[in-house]
Amino acid sequence: MRKSECLWYSIVYVLFVLLIVFPVFYTLSSTLLPDTGSSSLLENLQLINKDSFFLLAKSSAIAFVIAVLTTLLGAVSGFLLFKTNVSFQGFFKIALLVPLFISPYILAVTWNDFFYLCLGNTDSLASYVGVILVLTSIYTPLSMAIIGNAFSNINAQLEEAGEIVADYRKVIFKITLPLVKPALLTSLALVFIFSISEFSVPAFFGIKVFTTEIFIQFSAFYNHSLAILQSTLLILLCLLLLLSEKAYLANAPFLSIHGRGIKTKIYHFYRWKGLSVSLLCFWFLLSVLLPFVALFIQSFQDGTAKFIQAFNLLKATFINSIGLAFAGALITIVVGFSAAYAAETKKRKSLIWLLLFVFAIPSTIFGISLIKFYNRAFLDAVYSSYVIILLGYAGKFSFISAKLIGNAIKQIPKSLDEAAQIQGIVPFRRIKMILFPLIMPTVFTAFIINFIFCFGELGTTIMVYPPGTEIIPIKVFTMMANAPQALISSMSLIVFFITLLIITVIYSLSKHYQNVNH
Amino acid sequence: MSTISLAEVTHSYGAKQVLQRLSLDIDGSQLTCLLGGSGSGKTTILRLIAGLETPQGGLITILNKVATNKNHLIIPPHQRKLGFIFQDLALWPHFTVYKNIAFGLTEQKQKNIKETVHQMLDYFGLQAYSEKYPHQLSGGQQQLVALSRALVLKPKILLMDEPLANLDVKLKRKTLGLIKKLQQNFDLTILFVTHDHKEAFAIADKIVILNEGVIELTGSVEQIKNSDNEYLKYFIEF
Repeated sequence: MRKSECLWYSIVYVLFVLLIVFPVFYTLSSTLLPDTGSSSLLENLQLINKDSFFLLAKSSAIAFVIAVLTTLLGAVSGFLLFKTNVSFQGFFKIALLVPLFISPYILAVTWNDFFYLCLGNTDSLASYVGVILVLTSIYTPLSMAIIGNAFSNINAQLEEAGEIVADYRKVIFKITLPLVKPALLTSLALVFIFSISEFSVPAFFGIKVFTTEIFIQFSAFYNHSLAILQSTLLILLCLLLLLSEKAYLANAPFLSIHGRGIKTKIYHFYRWKGLSVSLLCFWFLLSVLLPFVALFIQSFQDGTAKFIQAFNLLKATFINSIGLAFAGALITIVVGFSAAYAAETKKRKSLIWLLLFVFAIPSTIFGISLIKFYNRAFLDAVYSSYVIILLGYAGKFSFISAKLIGNAIKQIPKSLDEAAQIQGIVPFRRIKMILFPLIMPTVFTAFIINFIFCFGELGTTIMVYPPGTEIIPIKVFTMMANAPQALISSMSLIVFFITLLIITVIYSLSKHYQNVNH
Repeated sequence: MSTISLAEVTHSYGAKQVLQRLSLDIDGSQLTCLLGGSGSGKTTILRLIAGLETPQGGLITILNKVATNKNHLIIPPHQRKLGFIFQDLALWPHFTVYKNIAFGLTEQKQKNIKETVHQMLDYFGLQAYSEKYPHQLSGGQQQLVALSRALVLKPKILLMDEPLANLDVKLKRKTLGLIKKLQQNFDLTILFVTHDHKEAFAIADKIVILNEGVIELTGSVEQIKNSDNEYLKYFIEF
């Protein structure tokens, strides 16, 4: 690394470690290895009883079911949309992604309304099955995007070489699917971690899972030691999963993905075309259209009064929420790019590992770690301001941008940078003039995804928000317990429209940018 | 009857016309070279014969059976009794050498599959590498695996898309000799695509010169060498 690159990387690295990683380590170690005078480690460990392990096992089982279901559905929809000539591909590619861009707690409300309208009650939804159903509908688009992207990156010649010697079914099952195994595993691991860390959906349905139990121990019983010990178990589980996935993929000979410019093999389904479209239509109806129609009906069942009331309640939160999400997404891009650039071009991977470590920590626990550390007089400037929320966003989502940007950097041939290097162009100019324009679409995508995640983040925010903070997720979630359903539905509908509006604006800006550059 | 016959075949990618009413007959047990510059339609012809693409018009006959009629694919690629060597070899990275070769052998008993694959491994001297993955092999060894995979199904036709493009001069010479030997030993009709006239002159029984989707010249090596065709002169000169 040149001096200027090194300085930049060091600044980002030190800030991330000092402001985010250190507080987490400090809180975890001070709980696990307490000073004299408070309870000992042994006493603390005894707090984790059989019930804790049972609850963790149950939560893991639910997360596993969700991960398997989403990966299956994601693989099927990803295949149909990225590897076949199914009709209305463009529409489905965008429409089926909608649940991913909506906060989980809003999706929970939409499904609640849907069940209420269809069955007259929501008893069947307020169960483990309900949690599985709602989270599956939320995370299937994520799996679809990950696996679909992998499908479209397979070198067409590998499948064509199979077609010469075998029929298309054998080629799909023996060549195409095994080649996207890394994406399938990534989808399984990510959805498992998201699901087991998810707090808002089980909390909304009143279902006891490991994250809600941690929240209760922390907020209701003030049993911080137990909450953090339980968190440690969850962190270990998530890290174990991610490390096994990485270890498995590191030894597997799957490096078949081509660079840019080679076309993707498309399977032409003639007889199955109708069935394929029907399947996609059914999934669109079930996961997008019907729940949102139900939300709409619930919002306006008593006229527009509730909707207007909801708008007035949320009005004050718009600017704060959008501003914070924008700043949060920007920070995650800076941290993610620095980590990805160092890892992909300089083989310095320690920042990526730190990002992964923080990412694997469930939101609620991460929030607890931040407040326990920053709740001191001399750190009040962080504790009682929006900075603590931004730290939360940076910790939770920088890994996502690092992963996406890292993959984009991987696809840029080294020779492009080397050609500029030979001409004596300095590193910052090479990054600005060569690398950045080439990875700009991915940077935009990472920004949009992280903006949406920050905009709807609840697990960490609910732990760290300073008193008097007016942001959308907190406002909606705190009202969920007592406000009438129509008001909650209206608020959710407003959040849904704001999210769509923001996505459209950012997407149009990115398109405009790309057109200008071309 | 010809082993492969293309009659009035037309093909385009979007607005770009690649082949214009092209007719070509390839006779049995010959090594025919398709020679031409970039974008002349050489690879497209191979892909159409293999059934990896369907033309917009014309008729393709393989081993006296209609394989493609206008834009209708009548015989799918795996039933055309042909082997294909791709330019980048397209070895499946998640399969070992053994599995790469065995993949297409489905209609035989397990014991026979093993025997057939080991015969191939022996023939190409790959026995020691059977459990290795493609990325663990040298370029020359990968080339041999690709040939074994193509020949294990005992095809009548072998299509080769610039198979020597990534080899050094020494290995190129060795592989050219091997291809000629394979043609005789396996009684193959080989269609060999190249942009290098020296390769074509060294190996071909018949050469077809292509220029922007149209056949410019056809003949034996001697006939081509002695031709005063303007395009050929220009092509060889540059």
